[in-house]
Amino acid sequence: MDPVPSKSNGHLDEQISQLMQCKPLSEQEVRALCEKAKEILMEESNVQPVKSPVTICGDIHGQFHDLAELFQIGGKCPDTNYLFMGDYVDRGYYSVETVTLLVALKVRYSQRITILRGNHESRQITQVYGFYDECLRKYGNANVWKIFTDLFDYFPLTALVESEIFCLHGGLSPSIETLDNIRNFDRVQEVPHEGPMCDLLWSDPDDRCGWGISPRGAGYTFGQDISEQFNHTNNLNLIARAHQLVMEGYNWGHEQKVVTIFSAPNYCYRCGNMASILEVDDCKGHTFIQFEPAPRRGEPDVTRRTPDYFL
Amino acid sequence: MVVGIGYGYESKCQTCLDPNSNGIRNMIQIIVLGVISHGKKADSFISENITSVHKYSPLEWLGYFDQEDDVSIPGSNDVFHVYMAGSEGPVVFCLHGGGYSGLSFALSASKIKEKARVVAMDLRGHGKSSTENDLCLSIETLCNDVLAVLKTMYGDSPPAIVLVGHSMGGSVAIHVAAKKAIPSLAGMMVVDVVEVLLFSGRVVAMERFYNRNSNLVEWSVKGGSLRNIESARLSIPSTLKYDDSKNCYIYRTQLEETEQYWRGWYEGLSEKFLSCPVPKILLLAGTDRLDRSLTIGQMQGKFQMVVVRHTGHAIQEDVPDEFATLVLNFISRNRIGPHGIEVGSLAYMKDTCCLQIYAGGEPASNNWR
Repeated sequence: MDPVPSKSNGHLDEQISQLMQCKPLSEQEVRALCEKAKEILMEESNVQPVKSPVTICGDIHGQFHDLAELFQIGGKCPDTNYLFMGDYVDRGYYSVETVTLLVALKVRYSQRITILRGNHESRQITQVYGFYDECLRKYGNANVWKIFTDLFDYFPLTALVESEIFCLHGGLSPSIETLDNIRNFDRVQEVPHEGPMCDLLWSDPDDRCGWGISPRGAGYTFGQDISEQFNHTNNLNLIARAHQLVMEGYNWGHEQKVVTIFSAPNYCYRCGNMASILEVDDCKGHTFIQFEPAPRRGEPDVTRRTPDYFL
Repeated sequence: MVVGIGYGYESKCQTCLDPNSNGIRNMIQIIVLGVISHGKKADSFISENITSVHKYSPLEWLGYFDQEDDVSIPGSNDVFHVYMAGSEGPVVFCLHGGGYSGLSFALSASKIKEKARVVAMDLRGHGKSSTENDLCLSIETLCNDVLAVLKTMYGDSPPAIVLVGHSMGGSVAIHVAAKKAIPSLAGMMVVDVVEVLLFSGRVVAMERFYNRNSNLVEWSVKGGSLRNIESARLSIPSTLKYDDSKNCYIYRTQLEETEQYWRGWYEGLSEKFLSCPVPKILLLAGTDRLDRSLTIGQMQGKFQMVVVRHTGHAIQEDVPDEFATLVLNFISRNRIGPHGIEVGSLAYMKDTCCLQIYAGGEPASNNWR
């Protein structure tokens, strides 16, 4: 059952409907919300168990209107169960509204939605790629940024759907062999520059075998042999991950041992890619649903030309 | 007094400096203060600060680099000036931006040389290099110059080379790497070059101010230049020369005469960058200057991107220590040794015998698109 008493649910429901209209909460409301979220998230495992049916989603990156479109297509929360694999903030223009909505849904329907940590849910990255500046712009100070980035430390790193689908933002790590390895470390910290926790949020699958140095400057690349070994060791069918833009919104790799899911259509308002979500039904069947950018006003369309503000 | 100073690294403004002996010092002062006293009226900051004689006096390169040399290219009259530092590790081969010189890397070289060799050349038409045609700055010519210097210096067995290029030099680095003509190329760092977005901004800014000559000082104030006084004292004198006929200092590099080549520096650069089969790092001053192909490439994890905050366009001059650290970390992360990428076991892996480790570069094939 949801742990929040019904009286505060009414208030929370109002906040959720306000957020669904892309209107941010006040700093005070964000603070109270994040305190509740922290209590819920700190009870979750580094490998959070999740039941099917569930819809698995990739990067959002502050593209609020596309998240709203995602809920239109995939079904409202809590009618549909959701598992988000991180990267809610940065790049898009509505990181604040996006992450606040997801956290509010987590507090309201904690058993219906799982929100993992992505490499952008970090103090350092958000100062470079937009979330910090957006908080300053919308609240006049950095308090909301501080509240959220403190909360990010509690987000679970990975999830396990019906003991078969291992979900995480980035990928595997040469220092992790089993899921128990992951369960055992202390995740409540800023994303480190290296080591297993960093790798889970930064690594990418690759066509070459073995481990490779990631061209990104953090994490590793891992080949099909690595994925097969990991899935075999841990009795898994599939690794579902996000982190990389894939033009069709999803992309199978490693002979269907790994799938990449990306849920920010026309990423950064210029990449022209499709987005997708993965529905896992009661019988563990997989259905990908692709979608295009939601129609919106007030956001630049820079798909085909260079933006004016550089001239 | 100084009259009509225009300073932009890729500027069309070719103007004269005061013929008195304070010329270079004033120039350094203006270029540095141009940013620091942003918003102040140019006349007032010149007169206020003209007294600070020592603060802006030129500095010698010795002590930053270890030696300099002139590399004569066989079969031509081209002589390229190079500055060198360090005695071990791979060669960090530095290419400066348009209007700068090899001394743009002096401060960072003094730190990089602790763990790697640094070579910074003066490109054609720049610094102390002299060529048969100083105005031919086509991308092909600049690339061939770099390859000729490497060939003359190292013959057929060059050491591992990490190309580092700033602005126009970054474009040269990318074109050289994309030619795949250096077998020992082990990595590439490109500093604040992002094709049309940045460049078109500069061209427009230049033209706007060029048309209003009286505002050239204002352009230099707002155009953004150097923020590090020590670096400015080292590098700026090498970008100027004394013109006897005009009895004043002028820019060493007549960039305004090379406009026909600018498009060639930047056209299709993003795709070329992504096609280079070595580990790549892109350093940007500020964010969101990526075009579509670079945004996709970055979001697919094809290269490392670092946004260096609180600096101007010349990152290596404004924050030389941070720049040097980034270069050395890039080398060590990609395991670039004196002879190339060192394939070995990962430090904390328990069982390396069953794992094949490879390093860097592009995937053999790519279906992540």
